[in-house]
Amino acid sequence: MDELILELKNEIIETLNLEDMQPEDIDTDAPLFGEGLGLDSIDALELIVLMEKNYGIKLRDASKGKEIFKSVRVMADYIEKNRTK
Amino acid sequence: MTRNSFYIKSTAQISIQQPLCEDWMENPIWYDSNYVRSLEPDYKQYIPPMEARRMTRIMKRSLTTSNVAIKKSGLVLPDAIITGTGWGCMDNTEQFLEILCNEGEQLLKPTLFIQSTHNTISSHIAINTCNNGYNITYSHRCVSFDMALFDAYLQYKFGKIDSALVGSHDEVTPTSFVLLKKMGLVGCDDEICGEASVSTVLSSTPSDAHSAVAAIRIIYKPSVSEIHSTVNQLLADAEMCTEDISAVMVGISGNKTTDNLYYDIVDNCFRDKTILHYKHVFGECFSASAFGFYAADCCLKHGYIPDFLYVDKSQGMIGTPKTILLINHSDGKTFSFILLRSV
Amino acid sequence: MGKPIFITGAGIVSAIGLNKQEVLSSLLAGKSGIADVRYLDTEHREFPVGEVKLTNEQMIQMLDIKPDAVTTRTSLMGMLAMKEALDDANLTREDIHRAAFVSGTTVGGMDKTEHYYLDFINNDKKNKYIVVHDCGTCSEMICDYFGDFAFVTSVSTACSSAANAIIRGAAMIRAGLFDIAVVGGSECLTKFHLNGFNSLKILDTELCRPFDETRSGLNLGEGAAYLVLESYDSMRRRNVKPLSVLAGYGNVCDAYHQTASSPEGEGPYLAMKEALEDAGLNVSDIDYINAHGTATPNNDLTESMALKRLFSDRIPPVSSTKAFTGHTTSATGSIEAVICILAIRNQFLPVNLNWKNQMENGITPVTDLHPDKPVTNVLCNSFGFGGNDSSLLLCSSEIYDKE
Repeated sequence: MDELILELKNEIIETLNLEDMQPEDIDTDAPLFGEGLGLDSIDALELIVLMEKNYGIKLRDASKGKEIFKSVRVMADYIEKNRTK
Repeated sequence: MTRNSFYIKSTAQISIQQPLCEDWMENPIWYDSNYVRSLEPDYKQYIPPMEARRMTRIMKRSLTTSNVAIKKSGLVLPDAIITGTGWGCMDNTEQFLEILCNEGEQLLKPTLFIQSTHNTISSHIAINTCNNGYNITYSHRCVSFDMALFDAYLQYKFGKIDSALVGSHDEVTPTSFVLLKKMGLVGCDDEICGEASVSTVLSSTPSDAHSAVAAIRIIYKPSVSEIHSTVNQLLADAEMCTEDISAVMVGISGNKTTDNLYYDIVDNCFRDKTILHYKHVFGECFSASAFGFYAADCCLKHGYIPDFLYVDKSQGMIGTPKTILLINHSDGKTFSFILLRSV
Repeated sequence: MGKPIFITGAGIVSAIGLNKQEVLSSLLAGKSGIADVRYLDTEHREFPVGEVKLTNEQMIQMLDIKPDAVTTRTSLMGMLAMKEALDDANLTREDIHRAAFVSGTTVGGMDKTEHYYLDFINNDKKNKYIVVHDCGTCSEMICDYFGDFAFVTSVSTACSSAANAIIRGAAMIRAGLFDIAVVGGSECLTKFHLNGFNSLKILDTELCRPFDETRSGLNLGEGAAYLVLESYDSMRRRNVKPLSVLAGYGNVCDAYHQTASSPEGEGPYLAMKEALEDAGLNVSDIDYINAHGTATPNNDLTESMALKRLFSDRIPPVSSTKAFTGHTTSATGSIEAVICILAIRNQFLPVNLNWKNQMENGITPVTDLHPDKPVTNVLCNSFGFGGNDSSLLLCSSEIYDKE
């Protein structure tokens, strides 16, 4: 799980061009959107692409993303349970 | 009050010359290659990193030149934001196309799409500067800048606006360069290709302004006699005569086919005028005519014309230029005439 | 307040018809043009679309163009729509030579670029479609078919492009620069923007349901529409009758976000307000509003908010006609302007197809095409990504008919 969390943090940094950030700068349990990392709806859509591309998880409904992208830990949990690759 | 003069409060450029300054007038950078990318300033000074992270080069450049021009002008909220771009956000467009063509229609990235449209630039500036005013983007090949300035000038002249941020921006990615070259638009003969980001703030108030737009005329597919009458109308608009023009600045670039069209107009209408050029300094691209405007404004503002802008120095040099006429054309179809005067 | 501009010609090509008469019949019959993908070469068969029911070859034949000429689907649809508009207005080649052409598009020649892109790059020989990728060439291809215009320009503000082209043409007539301006927009479906909208997760796999509580996205469409705008003097001189009047317009920027509208609908509110002021009309004068109404959760909610702010509890009949035509992106402003002209001239209200469930905080759209009072003054909204929001105010020309 810790490995997946680190992998995910690196992928988030790369996908969302968080150039000046290191994985340790992202709090595993902090909210990704709004007050935490300060990501927005376009980032959420990029994360949907990331989930499909890297883990084979298809999210048709963008609003479902809101629950899954609560924090890196929640995301990792969801990926672990639903991944197809 | 007649509203013929739209005063140029500020300009800012990022190009293949030194960014955000007028150093090129004294120390221009010359290139051997005919493909050069723009020299970027340190954007961290201008755009917070969290905001910059999604922006492509053209977005950073256009936002930075806009913000610098706004700041220099002292006008926080211009009445209008009017933008020209020939090819728009090509970097994102190309990346999206590459995924589409190589990987198929399954995993396309939303950011690439959102930031691929031509109006990305103009709306992005409005979002960043919280400007709810008139906002429009013209995308018409080599007269995109001219079209944007024309709209601003006309709205000012007829009292719809008192100020405007006008800009023109194009990026030439390595792939774009290959395509533009195949189209014969850049990189022919001695031509150098360059990227463009020029922003200017214009206002109804002359304070602190050194120059003004005095008239603009644009015409599609004119005959020789229509070019004559357009020039006469332009001068009448500005209440001037041919003798009042200090110099004519044309968009010759080293591409013989398109250059000859400028020489034809000069031979027909401005035989004894001093001819200036700028594309050998700033390069050619769809937004290059904005550099003509920028360079002419710099000359009027500083009261001299650098040697290297003369096409033929033996024609005689000008002391302090008062009025510069800009002539630009797009594929020999649309011809634009912009008259700038010092104030 | 600005001078009124006269509309002396209108042409349209869309999923619900290839001219005004066919479009009118579909609107009156409540017949949508949205169906399974038939013409666009895409893997995404799951999204219904509003296609123009013609192949490129058929259009080339209708226009009597050489089969090997370089054309794009956007330019072909544009020529067809413009032909109807010019015929309406009875413009001669001499009239055209004095006129301006302002056209809106965003995809331009993207249908060819996405098909030949790899060949563009890899083939040393120049692919003939390279030169038609951009918006400007698209406009020139459309207008050059009819003669030599005096002025040609291209507006690209995403989904409000055609509306802003109309505004730009009208402004030049008001300024006395031209007597006649042919204005509008054209946009064909492409894989590029179908996949783009899909990446934003705002395409519905069902028929779109604007202003419905269950709405879950838009259906894309394609088409073209052009108007002939004319000054009063020119119209009198040429002895032609107006179809309608463009009384005012508003162009603003929401200045909020690249894709989402501000929660209070600031841009839509300001655009409509400006159009009313420009025409010198009050909110109570408006008899119908053709909403942008894309059927995305965000647009329909924020547009409703803006309507409530401007009209408070006296909102005139509102409908979105996107469930008829699909969202025709850059062409939507002129396509819906033609729909408004048809509504004014034939005294009906275009219904909001597929509406069943009242949405929370939303407006209640028109479902009965019979108006309670004459349809005289109409607002037509077009909003684009980045907050490029515009509104047109179209009026009946009846008062001028009597002269």
